[in-house]
Amino acid sequence: MEKISINPFIDAVQEAFDSMVGYPANRIEALPAPSQVHLPDLIGVIGLSGTAQGVVALRFPMTTALAVINAMAGASFDKVDAAVIDGIGELVNIVTGCAKGKLKGHTISISLPTVVSGDICRLSNAKDTVWVEVPFESKLGVFSLVLTLKQVVANRQEVAREGVNSR
Amino acid sequence: MKALIVDDSQIMRRIIVSVLKKAGVNDISEVNNGQEALDVLKQDKDIGLVLLDWNMPVMTGIETLKHIRTTNKQLPVVMVTTESEKERVVEAIKAGANDYMLKPFNPDDVLEKLRKYLESGGK
Ligand SMILES: [Mg+2]
Repeated sequence: MEKISINPFIDAVQEAFDSMVGYPANRIEALPAPSQVHLPDLIGVIGLSGTAQGVVALRFPMTTALAVINAMAGASFDKVDAAVIDGIGELVNIVTGCAKGKLKGHTISISLPTVVSGDICRLSNAKDTVWVEVPFESKLGVFSLVLTLKQVVANRQEVAREGVNSR
Repeated sequence: MKALIVDDSQIMRRIIVSVLKKAGVNDISEVNNGQEALDVLKQDKDIGLVLLDWNMPVMTGIETLKHIRTTNKQLPVVMVTTESEKERVVEAIKAGANDYMLKPFNPDDVLEKLRKYLESGGK
């Protein structure tokens, strides 16, 4: 299995936020601790199959999910309903599709998105998969990109050193 | 001019509807998947533009496009999809897509791209 860089996924999140949501998203070191009134997160999930296998997820606190979908759709939903859930599914679909196009030398199919709510610490713990969570912030709130991929490379330095994605 | 939006995401349909309305298109039908699109196209001969997603349940966009082209070579069909690999774009163009738009998109860029289909009245 060829190593996969996580950078295309990070770039795809930023592109999707710039163009479709209309608010830039920037990487942060870590997510802040959950507030006292802790609502479950809304998590959009997509499976990858083919030369890269794993799961791509976008994990939003409920308030961020609502703000993001309102911004993206020019809407004013005041609670997380079917439309907001649908929007989170579409956003993870857009991010994954965009990242897939940037992963040169791979042939990847993506599943239809699923949206779940809850507190998920780890999406998968399968053998030879690596789990990475990349936190982001935007004016609409914090959120994170969660990747469970076979043999991912965790940062740009390693990518440069090991020359992944170069066939 | 009447447009048909085929996408399994209601939020994406909502975004595309607002783009079309900005362009002055108010007569818009929306469906969830390719099979529903074929059903609508069979009944409604006024549709002059189809905006077609790729990844959908029941029938994908590429299958839908191939079905449409067996009976209708003229109808403008624009793919609006996350499928960005060159092979996919080539596959869609070979199957008869008139244009190809990638998600994520900036709504204003979509508007710009759609203008030529709207101005020609879908012919
Ligand atoms: Mg879709």
